[in-house]
Amino acid sequence: MTRKEHAALASRLAVGAVLIYAGSSKAAGPVEEFAYILAAYDVLPKDFLLPAAAFLPWIELLLGWSLILGYQTRLAAAAAGALFAGFLAALASTILRGISLPNCGCFGESLHFTPAQAFFMDLCLLILCGFGFQMGHGPASLDSWSERGL
Amino acid sequence: MIDVAMGTVFARRIAAAALILTLAVLSALTAHKTHKPFSPFAPDFRTQGPADAKVLMVEFSDFECPACRYAEKPLHDLLALYKGHIRFVFKHYPLRMHERARPAAIAAECAGRQGRFWEYHDRLYDRQEEWTNDKAEMMLAGYASDLKLDMDAWQACRRDPALPALLEAELRDGNNAWVGSTPTFFINGKRFVGFQQLRERGTLFVEKELKR
Repeated sequence: MTRKEHAALASRLAVGAVLIYAGSSKAAGPVEEFAYILAAYDVLPKDFLLPAAAFLPWIELLLGWSLILGYQTRLAAAAAGALFAGFLAALASTILRGISLPNCGCFGESLHFTPAQAFFMDLCLLILCGFGFQMGHGPASLDSWSERGL
Repeated sequence: MIDVAMGTVFARRIAAAALILTLAVLSALTAHKTHKPFSPFAPDFRTQGPADAKVLMVEFSDFECPACRYAEKPLHDLLALYKGHIRFVFKHYPLRMHERARPAAIAAECAGRQGRFWEYHDRLYDRQEEWTNDKAEMMLAGYASDLKLDMDAWQACRRDPALPALLEAELRDGNNAWVGSTPTFFINGKRFVGFQQLRERGTLFVEKELKR
């Protein structure tokens, strides 16, 4: 593996670990709690809050494990990047509209980040997703294992 | 030959997808194991309604939290609408970021020991902006005096070491129930976080529970 491939693997693992931690904290917790935090962002219609709160943590979990294990790596990196871009847009809109969030809600109740900290973290993760997408899967991935069947 | 190879690729992809799905479920289940049941117990002076009511409603609240103040109106409306049918229990959940929430909870608890918990509770919410500052100590004592509490007993009660322990126990209860925001309501175990969830879905849920 080249140095660049090592870096791509590290990026995948870092983004995947954050997504798994965020997703499991929220998927295990009460959906109403996360819906309450989503409501504070004021970007989703009321009727979508509970379904989004139930659905989003599982997306994070699936994307996280896909990135860690290198399954559909480019697709997972693109989807995770889109997710972080969405989070950044939501955070930016609250800052621009002067909405004060007590915490970003990124990790359920396990870790509290301020919106500014969350913005910086999401930006870093978006960049790592971009790098992961550009590099695709390396030899240490399920994609590579699947392709060896040919 | 190519068909066999393609079949292998497909089978491996399916196996990989199944692995991802299994790991996702396992990680959520592992995190879920920290969820424990909570005790709905509180002293009698912090409860309202008949003990054998069909609906048990527990509120975890913080006197310094503005959202808890906003929840007072929909909560009172709900309790008035179903008077006699709901057992309501108030539990303290003073958030760490609210430095005056604990002294306020202890002050209310001591008012409760003199049978005036609810009056003190209402005053703390009604005048939240008045005491959530450097004047807290003076205002808390002022409210006790306004309610004609026995001030010596009230001050002695505030020094009772059992009260911080009681708050810790209620915080543990809240943590066991994964309370992260205040106010959080449990109506027959069903969670409603914040006054909007209570206002929009609480009444319907109580109605449904009463018809069961």
